[in-house]
Amino acid sequence: MSDKKVILVVDDDVDILEQTKILVENAGFSVVTAESSNEGWLKFQEIKPYACVLDLMMEEYDSGFILSHKIKKDAHGKTIPVFLVTSVANATGLRFDATTEDEKSWIKADAIMNKPVVIDDLISKIDEFYEKADAVK
Amino acid sequence: MNTDIKILIVDDEDNLRTAVKKILQMEGYTVSTAENGTKGISIGSSDDFDVVLIDLKMPDISGMEVLARLRQVKPNTSYYIATAYASYETAVEAIKLGAEGYILKPFTPDELLHDIRKGIEKRRLIIEAEELKREREANLLELAFERSRLNTVIKSITEGVLVVNKDREAVYFNPAFIKLLKADELELARNVSDVLPYPIYEMIDNMLNDSSSEIKTQSDEFKTDADGDLYVEVSVSPILGNDHSMDGVVLVVNNITTYKQIELLKNQFISMVSHELKAPVAATLGFLEILTNPSIILPETQQIEYLTRASARLKSLIEMVNDLLDISRSELNTVRREIRPVIVQKVIEEVLLLFENEAAKRNIAVEIKYEENIPLINVDPNEIERLLTNLVSNAIKYNKNDGKVLISVHKSAKYVEISVEDTGIGMKPGEKEKLFNEFYRAKNEFTKTISGTGLGLSIVKRILDYYQGYVNVESEYGKGTRFIIYLPYIDEHNTNQH
Repeated sequence: MSDKKVILVVDDDVDILEQTKILVENAGFSVVTAESSNEGWLKFQEIKPYACVLDLMMEEYDSGFILSHKIKKDAHGKTIPVFLVTSVANATGLRFDATTEDEKSWIKADAIMNKPVVIDDLISKIDEFYEKADAVK
Repeated sequence: MNTDIKILIVDDEDNLRTAVKKILQMEGYTVSTAENGTKGISIGSSDDFDVVLIDLKMPDISGMEVLARLRQVKPNTSYYIATAYASYETAVEAIKLGAEGYILKPFTPDELLHDIRKGIEKRRLIIEAEELKREREANLLELAFERSRLNTVIKSITEGVLVVNKDREAVYFNPAFIKLLKADELELARNVSDVLPYPIYEMIDNMLNDSSSEIKTQSDEFKTDADGDLYVEVSVSPILGNDHSMDGVVLVVNNITTYKQIELLKNQFISMVSHELKAPVAATLGFLEILTNPSIILPETQQIEYLTRASARLKSLIEMVNDLLDISRSELNTVRREIRPVIVQKVIEEVLLLFENEAAKRNIAVEIKYEENIPLINVDPNEIERLLTNLVSNAIKYNKNDGKVLISVHKSAKYVEISVEDTGIGMKPGEKEKLFNEFYRAKNEFTKTISGTGLGLSIVKRILDYYQGYVNVESEYGKGTRFIIYLPYIDEHNTNQH
């Protein structure tokens, strides 16, 4: 196995999933994919990824929220960045963001990103997370 | 012209009666006479005289008594007592009993006529006053009736109404107003500032403080129920007095909850549609970006695969737009239906032709079972074809390779029942309920590679709704699904009677 950092990507759209995998791999990471929140949770526990990218609307419109909540409660999950990805920043009457501390406290994700994910953005957000974590130490 | 003025003379002296009668007749009056008190009373009571002249001293009854008796029945007549023995007491008593005055005997014709004219004038005034009084009473009655009718109308309407005067006091309100704004403490003459929600009071206050010459009605929407979902629209209009200054304002409150709910549903639907439309576009764009990214080198077979997948996503996008147009047409009622008797079996066979290749490719056997004597149904053949296409398409799409599709037609008491059964992936419990929602697609390991718009069954349901039909679903996860549609058929017996 290579020593590349592993990113877990969860999305129920197989096309988007495959595209994200190619792009993130191209940026120098290793990628593990899951097509449902259940599979995502199992793979998370198995591989203990370096970061997670979760689609918000999967089986239910809030599946991504629930999965990110679960991950952030996990001992390992607390130490890694978790990103929610959505194309519905304001659809179905929901409007949310994870920029204020208050929102972060209940959303339990480190950022909410719009679909399609801009890979450079994602990478810089991952780096930022770890830089901050290092600074605290 | 004086003939319509009637005068009665009650006197026992023949000469005097005749003389007076002559004088008065010469003036054009209609004159009656009575030679004693008793006759005087009976004649005087039987007609409406303008003036009655009564002799004080008569052999049978005194003039005072005649006066008293006649006044009881004819109070508007002018009475004069004629007497040769004028005394202060007599005068007082006559006036007390309601006489206009007394005429001293003997009198000259001028003196007589002067008094008679005075009496006639008095009587005319009394009658006029009476008429005016009656008229006024009638008007008041009408006004009261009108007011109570208006009151009943305003009390009955579902819109809330409140009238507030310049001092911000409640002048009038109806029960609907209290109900809609939960203003239970509202009462007449009470200042409304502490009874109404502040934003509504502010509307009233602002309008009453407005000194501009043209004040227009102001409307705003409010949520009045913190826990529930009651939305009202409040309109405030000025009430202008005769001098165009503002006397107060009138509030009209409308319950707009249903409208708000529809608006919310509409917004949710638009959000959902946007999301569903965005997904295939994003996926296609993603493939194109990867293929044109110079830093990503892919083998040719993978490039072709991605292009194929991109076009599949675009195809599903077009299907979805077509389905949406269908739904919008049926919502807007712009569907032009050509309803006629249709043989269901024929439509089924036409639909199956469309899926021959697809079924063959995956080795899915399609079987048809018709009962005999299936009645005709009254429908637009295109709509029924659309409905069956959606069901058969699902039965093949969600089937396993080498699976089976069974289509059967059965006649029940009221309906033609068309069953489309597959040996496919079936549904998990809980998925069935959401099946007919727009954009709902059962998501599991089988369905992820099957493209669909999530609108097909919603269209099926809409079509059935139009024809007063319905649909039932039976499904077992991993084993298969059966859709049974029920369409009312043409009752031959009934149609023959027409």
